[in-house]
Parts: sequence; C-alpha cells; structure tokens
Amino acid sequence: MSGPLAASGLSVRYETPHGSVHALRHVDIEAHPGEVIGIVGESGCGKSTLVTALANLLPANARIDGSIRYNGVDLAKLDAHRQRLLRGDEIALVGQDPMTAFNPVLTIGDQLVDFQHHRKDLSRAQKRARIAAMLGRVGIADAERRMRSYPHELSGGMRQRVAIAAALLTDPGLLIADEPTTALDVTMEAQIIHLLRELRRDYNGIVIVVSHHLGVIAELCDRVYVMYAGEVVEGGEVDAIFHDPRHPYTQALLACDPARFRERLDRLPTIPGALPSLTQPPVGCVYAPRCGRGFAPCKTVAPPLVKLTACHAARCHAVTS
Amino acid sequence: MSPLLAVEDLSVSFVRSGLLDRLINPFPLPGFNVVDGVTLSLMPAETLGLVGESGSGKTTLARTILGLIRAAAGRIVFEGRDVQTPADFRAMRRRSAMMFQDPVASLSPRLRVGTLLTEPQVIQGLPMPDRRAAAKALLALVGLPASFVDRFPHELSGGQARRVGVARALAMKPHLLLADEPTAGLDVSVQGDVLNLIGELKRELGFAAMIVTHNLAMIRHVSDRLAIMYLGRLVETGPTQEVFSAPLHPYTATLIRSEPIPDPRRRSHKPAVTGEIPSVFRRPSGCEFHTRCPLVQSRCKTEAPAYRPMGAGRMVRCHFPLQTGGQEREAVSRASANQRGN
Repeated sequence: MSGPLAASGLSVRYETPHGSVHALRHVDIEAHPGEVIGIVGESGCGKSTLVTALANLLPANARIDGSIRYNGVDLAKLDAHRQRLLRGDEIALVGQDPMTAFNPVLTIGDQLVDFQHHRKDLSRAQKRARIAAMLGRVGIADAERRMRSYPHELSGGMRQRVAIAAALLTDPGLLIADEPTTALDVTMEAQIIHLLRELRRDYNGIVIVVSHHLGVIAELCDRVYVMYAGEVVEGGEVDAIFHDPRHPYTQALLACDPARFRERLDRLPTIPGALPSLTQPPVGCVYAPRCGRGFAPCKTVAPPLVKLTACHAARCHAVTS
Repeated sequence: MSPLLAVEDLSVSFVRSGLLDRLINPFPLPGFNVVDGVTLSLMPAETLGLVGESGSGKTTLARTILGLIRAAAGRIVFEGRDVQTPADFRAMRRRSAMMFQDPVASLSPRLRVGTLLTEPQVIQGLPMPDRRAAAKALLALVGLPASFVDRFPHELSGGQARRVGVARALAMKPHLLLADEPTAGLDVSVQGDVLNLIGELKRELGFAAMIVTHNLAMIRHVSDRLAIMYLGRLVETGPTQEVFSAPLHPYTATLIRSEPIPDPRRRSHKPAVTGEIPSVFRRPSGCEFHTRCPLVQSRCKTEAPAYRPMGAGRMVRCHFPLQTGGQEREAVSRASANQRGN
C-alpha cells in the first residue's frame, strides 16, 4: 500500500529555554511511488528535522504547523498508536550509523524477526525464511550463518546492508535513508550506492535519501531538494539541479565541492559568512547575508517560490521563470 | 636538499598480551603488524597526503612518527638526526605538531581557548611574558576574533574548533605539521576554509605537512605527493597529479573510481571493487590486495610483490602495475569501460 507523500507549508519549531528555534519553515515537498528523492544541505539546514517530521519522530518540544499527507492521510493528526502502526508497516528508516542501529545482545536473525512483528499472518519459520531471502538480496552471502551472528561480528558495510534488509522486510511504502553511506569507506560507499540502485528496480515505494554529499545525491536520486537554514531553497530534477542550478546557494554549494575539479586548485572555493540564527530567522531571504547578488528586497522581503519549469522551482528574488 | 623527515622500514605491531587473552589462547599468533615496513620521506615545505581506508594504518603511522605509539622496528630520522629515545621524541615534538582527528574532543572541555592555545609553550618550558597576548596573536593568525580566548570548546562550531586546532598546532612554529583528517565532519563550504588557511600559513611559515585522510577529492587539491596505504603497507607513492591521472596500483585506481561523482550524467554502473578490506589478523598471502583486485593473476596469490621504483619519483608494490604493458592497460580500460557508462 504505497501512495504519494506531500508536505505542504510544513514548519517545525523547537521550544527551548532560550526561545524557539525555527528549524523548518514553510517547506513544500512531494514524492511519488517509484521515485528516489534527495534532500541535500549542510549541517543546520534542517534536513534531519524534515525527515524526522516525515517519520513522525520529532521530540516532545517540537511544534508542527502545516501538513504531511501520506496516501491521503494527514500524519500529524494521527494519534500515537496509529502513528506507531504506520511506522512499523509503511515507513522505514535506515540510519547513518550502522553500529548503533541494532541491539548488541540479540542475534541479527532474532532482531529481524522482531521487525516483522506486525505480520501476524506469518509463522516464525516463515519470517526467518523471508529474512534469509532478503539478506541474500542485499548481497549478504551465507545468510543462514549471518542470522546467527551478533551485530559486532559484522563489518560496518555488512551492518548497513542488514539495516537496509531490515527496512525492506516491512515492505515500506516510504523508505528514508539518512546519510546511508557517511560512516563507510569509499569502496563500501560505492557498493551500497550500487545496492540501493539495484533494489529500487523492484521496489515501488518512495525512497528519500538525505545527504550532505553531492556525489551520493547525484548517483542515486531522481529529484532533489536543496535546503538552507530551515528552508527548501530549490527543488527540481537531479539533472537540472546539477547542470542548471538557479538559486545562488545551490550554485555556491556545487562550486564548493572539490570533487568537481580535476585540476589542482590553489584555493578551494568556500561560502563566506555563517548560517543565520534560527532563533531569529531573517525577515527577508535566509541566504541574503551571504549572497553575492543581493539587492534591495532581499533583506526585507522573503522571496516567493518561483516556478521555473514543471518541477523546478527556486526561492529567490533574482530568478524569473 | 635533505629530507625533513625520513622513515625507514617502520613497523608497528600490536600484541595481544592481556592475561585473559593468554588463558583463552595460550599459543597466540606472533605479533601482527598494523604498520609494516613503511619507508617514506618528506622534504621541507612539502605536503604529503597519506591516503587509505579505515584500518589501513594511516593514523597509526602518523602517531608513531611523533612517538605517540612505539615502533617495533625501523628508523625515524628528523632533520638529519635519528629519533629513538623518549628524549629524542620530545625534542622532535618541539619542532613538529599534530592536529588530531576530532577537533572538539582534542580540546580539553574545561579549559578556555586561551589556555589551550598556550599550553604547548608551557609544556615545552618556553618563556612567554604575556600568555593572553600570545593566545590572541595565535587567534589572529587563524582569523578568529581575539574575544575567543575566553570561550570554552563547546562554544565553538566545528569549523572554529578546527581553526583553534590549527592555531594550537602552529603555536610552536613547527617545521612539520601532521594533520589527521583535518576536515572530517566539516561541510564542504567550511572544509575549503580550513584547507585554505593551512595552505596560506604553510606558504607564510614554510612548514612541511603530512595530511592523513580518506578524502580523495580534497587531497587532490592540497598535496604535492601522495602515499597510498593498504593493510599497513604503502602500495603506491608519487606526485599527486600523476597518481590521479595515471595510477600504477590497481588499488589506487579502484579508490579513484569508487569516489561518487557529483554529476548525474556520469553515474557509475558497477562498483569498482567488491568485498571489504581484510583484517590485518589474517593478512592474505602473496599480494594483500589479490582478494579484491580486478586484475588478479595466479602469481599474485602466492608471491608478495616488492615495493619498487617506477619512473621518476614513483614507487609501487604490484607485480603487474597498470600502464606498463599494453595487455594490462587494455584489461583495465575494458574494465573501466564496463564500469562507467557514457
């Protein structure tokens, strides 16, 4: 049962003793079954808050405005019990750190059986058979033996494969991978990217990949949302984002990636300035203080989301459709 | 010109010696080398990139050079003098500095930035008339405001903590800077900042640097020479540009090909290598890379290749280095054609 996901006008603020932190502001995103969506941005841009909101796992001090509709249901309005059912059944998360994703005192097999607790129709033996098949699918040789292993007996790359298998066992309609390769070495990263790409062929749900690594986003995603200081500043097809970026922040972020330059640079490009405070976000454009193109309205008027093509949009005064 | 630092045949061995371990395993394996026979030199003012995956021994090598880990065998020569005794290492550390991997964890949480910055001079017993002024001068050197002397490490952002790390490393005006993953965990826009800062200060102060990293995209722009490590051994060294444009060792080629490219039009179609880095506990026979090498031949499984010079300033540990004979080159270009579309 998978369906479209849409967040509209989504804002999240954290109430803290030092005032409220506006971690996410008027975010609109949408995703359709079969799509791989990338969310890219630097630390503090709100990408983790966004996926945490999508998985309905925000802490108690978070206040949400706007709506997240998944398959026609407003997730924010569900009670705690229904939310939990949805997480076990429909929404799965693959975290950044494969080391802490598992319980260290249970075998992999036992944990993956528990992941299927909502499948009352299956016997334990059937569940174990599903696990063995799924482990094989994510490229783990000797699945039966691995099911009797404890997490510490597996390498980082193998644990991340098991985490992906665990997520897929629930047949989720929405799979969220938060920095899935950040903790891995480059040769293992390439293998996990390859695995995710293989898996999407016969998986019909939505995949959301969150990463700060532009290479990972370019390798995996169909559409990309670029986030900065709690806002989605640009969204579009992966080719448009990487080859025709329109928002000055997207352009600057791409220009900073040393992987784009094959010739040696004497100075690496940077983005001067710092992130604005999220307790008092700027009234105008969030990127204006660091933007090279700023003009009069940028500092005082928040820019609208300008639609450039059917699915390419940027939040900037300087772009025109 | 004589090298600033020369390391000859350096090995580091971690021996399991706990009581429990001896009870469980009364006949332990002889010590296994985490770093094995590394020979390396660094010229004054040069930047060397030491590259490898986790478990390759690159951090252990850097720490051993500064005497933080004891070598099992080999020689370290710094500025023409043999470094052997703890006193030798102390003298060497007066002229060299280390930037540790985690910038915040390597700053004591209870000391203010001003105290942290001037600790090296105090430890080395150097005269310092005005500690606060010295700290402010160091902050100015790395482009931080003087008011930071009163801050605690937790009040710094990742990039600022790195800058404090750079300032502290340079407090003693070292001739050698060892930087362990100087940009790990930093955003790309801040990473450039820290590397540009190290580059500028290098030009200004003229020290040599050894940068330990797994980040190929970054090291390409900041190093003069590269040394690639695999399972504790050097497998290739050479000028950075040449290593990137024409790697000799299949492992180097694999690393370069594995790096995701930030361009959706150039997606890779097959991972360049499968499997994982083996454990040093069970070092493969012959060439250690033969278990994962795309170009493995039968000789590689039994006979360990020598580390030998190949052309000007380049060394490689491989029986069949790339781009030697037409046959190998063809095989690799075929392999890479399969791996990269368009």
